[in-house]
Amino acid sequence: MLTRRSLSVLALAALLSPAAALGQSPNGANRSAQDSQDIIKIVSSLPRTGSANAQTTSMVNGIKMAIAEVGGAIGSRKIVYEDWDDASPQRGNWDPAIEAQNADKAIGDPTVLAYIGTYNSGAAKISMPKLNAAGIVMVSPANTAPGLTKEGFGEANEPAVYRPSGRINYFRVVPTDDVQGAVAADFAKELGKKKVFVLNDREVYGKGVATIFEKRAREIGLEVVGVDGIDPKASNYKSLVTKMKQAGADVVYFGGTTQTNAGQLAKDIVAGGLRATLIVPDGCYEKAFIEAAGNRALEGRVYITFGGVDPEKLEGKGKEFYENYMKAYGDKPEGYAVYGYEAAKVVIAAMQRLYEAGTPITRATVLEEVGRTKDFSGALGTWSFDANGDTTNRTFSVNTVKDGEFTTVKVVN
Amino acid sequence: MTESEVFLQQVIYGLSNGMIIALVALGYTMVYGIVELINFAHGDVFTLGGFLALTIVGALGAAAILDPNAAGESSHWLLLFGLVVGAGLFCGVLNMTIDKVVYKPLRRAPKLTQLVAAIGVSFILVNIALFWGGVPMESFGGGNAAAAPKDFPEILEGSNLLGEESNVVLRLEDIAIFAITIPLMVGLTLFVKKSRLGRGMRATAQNPVAAKLMGIDTDRVISATFLIGGFLGGAASVMWSVYNNTISFQMGFRAGMDAFTAAVLGGIGSLPGAMLGGILIGLIRAMSDQYIETRWTNVVVFGVLILILVFRPSGLLGLKQREKV
Amino acid sequence: MPAAARVAPFSWGQLVVLGGLALVPLLDYAMPSVQLSAPSRWVVVFAVMALGLNIVVGWTGLLNLGIAAFAAVGAYSYGILTCEIYPFQVGFWWGVVLAGLIGAFAGFLLGAPTLRLRGDYLAIVTLGFGEIVQDGLKNLELITKGTQGINPLPAPSFGGDPLASTDVSLWFYLYLGILALVVFLARNLEFSRLGRQLFAVREDELAARCMAIEPDKAKLKAFAMGAALAAVSGALGASVLSSTGEPANYDFQVSILALCIVIVGGIGSITGVLVGAIVMVGLNNVLLPILTQTLQRSGIGSTDNVFSLPDNYKFLIFGLALVLMMRFRPDGIVHSRKAVRK
Repeated sequence: MLTRRSLSVLALAALLSPAAALGQSPNGANRSAQDSQDIIKIVSSLPRTGSANAQTTSMVNGIKMAIAEVGGAIGSRKIVYEDWDDASPQRGNWDPAIEAQNADKAIGDPTVLAYIGTYNSGAAKISMPKLNAAGIVMVSPANTAPGLTKEGFGEANEPAVYRPSGRINYFRVVPTDDVQGAVAADFAKELGKKKVFVLNDREVYGKGVATIFEKRAREIGLEVVGVDGIDPKASNYKSLVTKMKQAGADVVYFGGTTQTNAGQLAKDIVAGGLRATLIVPDGCYEKAFIEAAGNRALEGRVYITFGGVDPEKLEGKGKEFYENYMKAYGDKPEGYAVYGYEAAKVVIAAMQRLYEAGTPITRATVLEEVGRTKDFSGALGTWSFDANGDTTNRTFSVNTVKDGEFTTVKVVN
Repeated sequence: MTESEVFLQQVIYGLSNGMIIALVALGYTMVYGIVELINFAHGDVFTLGGFLALTIVGALGAAAILDPNAAGESSHWLLLFGLVVGAGLFCGVLNMTIDKVVYKPLRRAPKLTQLVAAIGVSFILVNIALFWGGVPMESFGGGNAAAAPKDFPEILEGSNLLGEESNVVLRLEDIAIFAITIPLMVGLTLFVKKSRLGRGMRATAQNPVAAKLMGIDTDRVISATFLIGGFLGGAASVMWSVYNNTISFQMGFRAGMDAFTAAVLGGIGSLPGAMLGGILIGLIRAMSDQYIETRWTNVVVFGVLILILVFRPSGLLGLKQREKV
Repeated sequence: MPAAARVAPFSWGQLVVLGGLALVPLLDYAMPSVQLSAPSRWVVVFAVMALGLNIVVGWTGLLNLGIAAFAAVGAYSYGILTCEIYPFQVGFWWGVVLAGLIGAFAGFLLGAPTLRLRGDYLAIVTLGFGEIVQDGLKNLELITKGTQGINPLPAPSFGGDPLASTDVSLWFYLYLGILALVVFLARNLEFSRLGRQLFAVREDELAARCMAIEPDKAKLKAFAMGAALAAVSGALGASVLSSTGEPANYDFQVSILALCIVIVGGIGSITGVLVGAIVMVGLNNVLLPILTQTLQRSGIGSTDNVFSLPDNYKFLIFGLALVLMMRFRPDGIVHSRKAVRK
């Protein structure tokens, strides 16, 4: 540390030596003042500009509901929620610079005690190590890439690379893709299918879940007749459908989302005369997918796997959530709304436990307390965080579309 | 499917997609030929054409259109024709207005200034399309998911013309693309060759100052060029929507990029070049999807483009000329 | 004419801008809620990229729509050369330098066969190259890790002691120093023999040839230098993120942003490019987030529908800003005496 200081002074003495000293001080000075702050800030970092907007709006609504339910305060400390955008107009999608900035901003603001995000697994890779080093708890309502928390799925250095401090600060309330991809493959076999063509959108999430599907499909004896990655911006996939037709595929698995053009693919399978079932992961479990693909391309032809069950079919507290959401926003929640709600809820519950125990609510105590979450009774049922920070909830539902609505055909626990 | 069936199918898809790209490319190439501006906003004008078409279809009621009993077979074609004209006029007038408001005051500014202004317009139009998708209409999902892709109802009956048992699929949509784009292209070629305004366009493209001295109202010619280019973009957007059955607020991006590539491949400024370039890109895409891999298709398209330009620096049908100074 | 000897290392305008940037960490102290140092590193990253683009577009008159591809080359070179999962691990400084050299080589490879194309044909070639690089990075998973991105990547270090991610102001000063070095080099180029050759080629290739300048060679040098700077910027950005990110992070939109920086700032002017980077990155990464958050805090901005959410106006504001700036400052904010005037 000494060398670094002296170097900085050397480098800048001529121009601005006081700036370096001043520039470094706010973090340190404020950190000790943290306890005396009378607000608790919870921020979310989700892509609000561009194509994921509908899904994230629903999640933000869920977070707001969770905060409103405790009266917007823990004891005498007011909870301030800020809805941060990690997308930029210039990219129209999540922007790594903005996500990095959001993490830095959260670290620099001592009142921020919890960070809810991200939506895209790729974005999580940017902010996870930063927040980990700073010891801020991060709860993702949507990242499903297994490598973020589990060994053996991504690179050899995952997930340790996201935990520079050695502690775990990243938790998620959604089940991961290693379960989801396998559920989809098993289901394809159950349907009596034999030949699968595996597609992905060449993004972190889609590629990851498709790879797991492919692996599982081979394990259980399905023939993989082709693997390819699509261009999500292409105008149609008719030529690709012809290729799949020639390959004799009776199941097409697409690892991707509505935003990466799953709707178009569903349509082109029908238009191209390919008589195959399409199976897609939870990134398509949103109304927007039905709107994009239209009924005629979906009914009886597509299955969607989803971590958890349809919001409408939730029981107990989940049902309450569903009803309250309808009351508050006059519209059915998207699939991920409940995860936004649950993520905020689990953080707030930890804070309340601290408050009741008389422990000061700080970044460190909140982080520790969230990690202790056990047998949490929430909208998604009763679950805990395991040693990796993942939810123990492994419920998946397989859904199809009927009359323009999702209907569950199977629940896998 | 036999190899020859597969090949035939890919040719059909390649041509259909290519014709649409060609129609958009004409808009780029015409504007470029006259004012030497790469009109970045053209792809987004195209997007708005698709949104207008869906609005009209939604207002008329998708169910009424799709019900074969309520309306005769010919009404589908009538609707398609109406949409092409409606969206075409809308995009034409929009394109012309953008030129008047944004590009015209910059005519004497450096070329790159106009380019950035066009990029700016493109962002504005993307935002307008986003808002348009949030209009609380049923065809837009009741305004809940503005950014999501929208389903565009099947206007033409979707069955296979070669019989349901045939491996090769040829649908009315494919026929419609040819039935609409070919007359438009022929008409445009004749118009530019024979009409007074067309002559004015060619003269202005060659030398605006000389054209002006010869008594040609170049401002009017430029306006007309934007109008016609926009009209073709609007027509293309309807064909695109009918063919793909989806529109989204970012659909102009890939369409615009393909079309711009097509225009340059054919020789920018050349009308037959844009048509040829569009069809070639459609075919290359289809063949690459089939015989290489979809994930390499963009690499193949742009690789072929670069190779062709290395050997024919002015594109396939472009005139060899020195850069204007 | 021994012009280079008489040129001061920085112009007054450049000094004012660089000095102004040096005050940013002070603002952090004055306004802890805003925290400008962290985003200001992106000003440096994009300024370096745009300075590279300026050599190509501004001084040599070649429209390059694929500068982001070279940033990608730089970022991935930096990733492969420094990440712990590869055998090289050369560290920050060597990583940045080698990334720049590899970028220059990539520029040479693309430029050698294509630079004889005239204006807009070259533009589409560079655009296409951008798409090829992006898809190549996505598809060549064995080398690039595909969409996973390469991480973690090292922060800048002094004598084996890397900066912590919280050392934002020191990090920023380091980047500012690199930017000052790039500005110094670019300014030397501007007044060098090669610089004058580039201007001559831009104004009139034929006339330049008559003055015994070889336009093809001059263009290729400019193109390679531009690519090298873009690659350096890619490496600097990757170091901030500690990751290469996804290949899609270096798409056409990034090239467009770099082009907007050059033209909005003032094409051909180094000071202009610096101002452009501040304005555009400031708009994108600082102003728009602050604006929407302020609106949120004041209670405006509900999630009820697409119209009531401030985030949904970002495209519009960005686009309007570009159009208005071009309308009222067609030559950019800082007008260069040497700018193109056709």
